[in-house]
Amino acid sequence: MKKNYTQASRRRDRLAELLIRICGLFVIVAVVWILVMITRVALPLFYSPKATSIASISLPVELKQSRLLSIGIDETQQELFSLDGKGLVHFIDTRGGTLKESVPVPDPPPGARTVVSAELVSKSLYNLLWDTGVVSSVKIAFSSTRSESGNTIVSHEVSADPEGFFPGSGAFKRSFVRTIEGKGAVRVDQLESDRIRVTWRSKETDLFGNEKATTSSSEIQDPLPAAITAVVLDHAGHYLYAGTRNGQLMRWDISEPGEIRLLDSTAVTGNSPVTALNLVLGDISVAVGDGKGGYTAWFPVTAAGSGEGKQLVRTHVLRPHTGTVSAILPSPRDKSLVSVNDQGVIHIDHVTSERNLLTLKGAKPVAMLALSAQGNSLCSLDTAGNFAVWRLEIPHPEVSLGTLFGKVWYEGYDRPEYVWQSSAANDDFEPKMSLVPLIFGTLKATAFAMLFAVPLALLGALYTSQFMAPRLKSRIKPAVEIMAAIPSVVVGFLAGLWLAPLIDKVVLAFFLSFIIIPVMLLVTIFFWRLIKTASPLERRLRGKEFIVLIPIVLVGTWLAYLLGGIVEVQVFGGDFKQWLYSVLGIRYDQRNSMIIAVALGFAVIPLIFTIAEDALSNVPRNLTAASLALGASRWQTAWRVVLPSALPGVFSAVMIGFGRAVGETMIVLMATGNTPIMSGSIFNGLRSLSANIAVEIPEASLNGSLYRVLFLSAVLLFIFTFIINTVAEALRQRFRRKYGRY
Amino acid sequence: MTVPTHNPASPILTVKDLDLFYGAKQALKKINISMQRNQVTAFIGPSGCGKSTLLRCFNRMNDLIDNVRVEGSISFEDQEIYAASTDVITLRRRIGMVFQQSNPFPKSIYENIVYGLRIAGVNDKSLLDETVERSLRSAAIWDEVKDRLHDSALGLSGGQAQRICIARAIAVNPEIILMDEPCSALDPISTLKIEELIDELKRKYTIIIVTHNMQQAARVSDVTGFFYLGELIEAGPTRKIFTNPEKTQTEDYITGRFG
Ligand SMILES: Nc1ncnc2c1ncn2[C@@H]1O[C@H](COP(=O)(O)OP(=O)(O)OP(=O)(O)O)[C@@H](O)[C@H]1O
Ligand SMILES: [Mg+2]
Repeated sequence: MKKNYTQASRRRDRLAELLIRICGLFVIVAVVWILVMITRVALPLFYSPKATSIASISLPVELKQSRLLSIGIDETQQELFSLDGKGLVHFIDTRGGTLKESVPVPDPPPGARTVVSAELVSKSLYNLLWDTGVVSSVKIAFSSTRSESGNTIVSHEVSADPEGFFPGSGAFKRSFVRTIEGKGAVRVDQLESDRIRVTWRSKETDLFGNEKATTSSSEIQDPLPAAITAVVLDHAGHYLYAGTRNGQLMRWDISEPGEIRLLDSTAVTGNSPVTALNLVLGDISVAVGDGKGGYTAWFPVTAAGSGEGKQLVRTHVLRPHTGTVSAILPSPRDKSLVSVNDQGVIHIDHVTSERNLLTLKGAKPVAMLALSAQGNSLCSLDTAGNFAVWRLEIPHPEVSLGTLFGKVWYEGYDRPEYVWQSSAANDDFEPKMSLVPLIFGTLKATAFAMLFAVPLALLGALYTSQFMAPRLKSRIKPAVEIMAAIPSVVVGFLAGLWLAPLIDKVVLAFFLSFIIIPVMLLVTIFFWRLIKTASPLERRLRGKEFIVLIPIVLVGTWLAYLLGGIVEVQVFGGDFKQWLYSVLGIRYDQRNSMIIAVALGFAVIPLIFTIAEDALSNVPRNLTAASLALGASRWQTAWRVVLPSALPGVFSAVMIGFGRAVGETMIVLMATGNTPIMSGSIFNGLRSLSANIAVEIPEASLNGSLYRVLFLSAVLLFIFTFIINTVAEALRQRFRRKYGRY
Repeated sequence: MTVPTHNPASPILTVKDLDLFYGAKQALKKINISMQRNQVTAFIGPSGCGKSTLLRCFNRMNDLIDNVRVEGSISFEDQEIYAASTDVITLRRRIGMVFQQSNPFPKSIYENIVYGLRIAGVNDKSLLDETVERSLRSAAIWDEVKDRLHDSALGLSGGQAQRICIARAIAVNPEIILMDEPCSALDPISTLKIEELIDELKRKYTIIIVTHNMQQAARVSDVTGFFYLGELIEAGPTRKIFTNPEKTQTEDYITGRFG
């Protein structure tokens, strides 16, 4: 009978143990699974870019004798074209290397027989300079459709663009034409013996609706330090750049018709000739390649000390080439560049991140390079007449550990900075994805919240556990616990829409109350000591002391309010925020770190309070008795015996509060302006990692860089809380071994 | 202020007509007893008869309990313990206490001993060091712990911990040490050590001890008081109480016929 009984209970024990193990294991597996899932989304950020060689074909025999001016490739690497000096566009099949079709450029200018040069203006638009001196535009576009059998079928179209037509006469080395919609056009011609002529054609419509075109022209008069080796014009036709044989980069403003203004003449290569020059997408940065392989990017920056004038400054240094950089080609999609040296080594680099994305080696020097309209295909034609075609897979060129965690010199900034600005309206925007301001924001919010919450929660817990009458305690504790159950949306909502405007009105009173109330409390406590232990008054108030403090706190608040007004008028001339801005240069945001401290503090106080109170209450009575019997006051006992004994528990309470504050999303989202700035000021807002995820994930395109960076910040948050909790637990165990048991 | 002159013959503690109520319930009834300097007084009696309650009156530890009402008088030398003018903190420093369950603080041995001094504002390192050694020697534990003064006191055995608690009480130099069943949680050898210690300590201190162990009371005490249902039935020299008690209740209790 007895044996049966023990057997049964043993079996039950084993079953319970098994169940607990399974549940525990399940929790661990679930947590690890979450980590794995979010890491899997973030990880492709760091995969190396890929280039797959698709074809390597030689020029069709029909074209062997042609003078080729430009090449192009379609998005799917099935067809490429080459434009020859006779104005014929030859479409070639990349799989067989056969000539599919030769299409003449439509509407050639009258009398023109040959094309002198061709310039890729944007995506598929080319400007052709004819032997007569006329420039015309042609669009050579590919489009692909998916057939019923699932293959993609590529078709092409060659069409004239009358907008780009710009008459001219004479012999030019190269010409650029930029049309400005509705206003006219500008044309830059590079003539023999380093002369550069700019021609403006402006269209005006008079009162009667008659169009009147005026043309003016002028030549660059500025003395050139050496022969011009490279010229480039931006898309708006505002800035003209030229590189020289002795390594100077010159920049002119030609935006005003009839006016050519030299803005810069900067040594950019250290005497080596500028051999390649091009503008990065967005036309702000200019990439310079030189005769020694040096490869840098520059943009105008407000020079320190000098007034408004902007000077070209070297902002990025890209991986150098081993020999003369012969050409630079900007990506049509992002701030990447394709460049090639005189030995046929092709580099693909990202300017902002300074990442060398790919290096491709051909056998022969490269004569021409082309990217498809979306930047997915790369095609080169070497001097021996062989085409090489690659498929590029560079999903996240702008992301690197450097851009995520380091200072980056973004276009338009005066110095390298930590910036988070993930998106903007325009396509050529430079995404700025530094996690540093967000990590900073998270830590700032947490720090201020803990500063506010920890003293309140711990002192409250100490009082409740050691002094409060048991009957009162049995009501107060559940009340505080209910506080923890308030949805954080509600707290955030109140903080953002009620507290922020309120504190906005009484900032000074808010600050003063942090001084006045504690001081008044201390004074009260001082007088309190005059009340003798066990006197009738003491017995009556025992355990309810805080009731006396309530009116004191109220009076303190009122005093702070009064004083705040007086101080504002007397010391700060009636407007504290104005004073702050004009004297200290500190901007006051309505939703600032004070609001966060209070709102987030409000959320973590119940958590810290409850756990700490439990730990403090668990300190055995006989320890307090021992202390009291040695002549310690109750306060001394609480401070010197109870608190140290409960330190492990109190510590984990604080850490759990910390973990909660770090991960809290809604409150931070609603109570701050979500400005990702790095300012330690208590008057400024912030943006935390978690709030950032909530704000941006709806805008992030699936599997895009932003999307993955957000997941990366989630991983970071995960690791962050994991480390905090692990360290907290380890420390707790240590404390426990060393001191308390509770 | 007059400096109290200690007449060796006059009692150090005198309890007169002491009644104590926990709410409506009377726990002590008309207690009259006095304790002599440098003597060990033992309180014996069945469980719940009020021994601990009386002991707690001497250092006013009862203050912490709600609804306690005390009537009558206890004088400590010529000072009335329950007078409104009595400073509880000084009183407790002069009348130390050792509890049934050893209760070292979760601090180092050193910090345990100097706790009483630290809360009184003493921070002089040499004075503290000196006190630690003196107290630990007095409590006969110096040799056992002198090499690990800065280790946690929680790592000590029950008997060692109890002697640390005695040393902690001695450190503030009290005049009276109250001991509430100090050996009830200890093994016989530790008990013996503590009993020897009490014998040592009475040369300097006055000791009042509550015990359930008759032999212990007989061995260590000079005077014994027998309590029953809140009343002090009989008090007198230990030898007399144990050999020739006046009251039959006392005799019954001592011979183990009840309780
Ligand atoms: N805090 C208290 N509140 C109410 N009644 C109490 C309290 N402490 C003790 N009593 C009661 O007072 C009486 C005396 O208790 P006391 O602890 O003094 O007994 P004791 O003689 O020390 O017993 P033991 O030998 O078991 O320790 C008991 O009936 C007890 O129930
Ligand atoms: Mg007792």
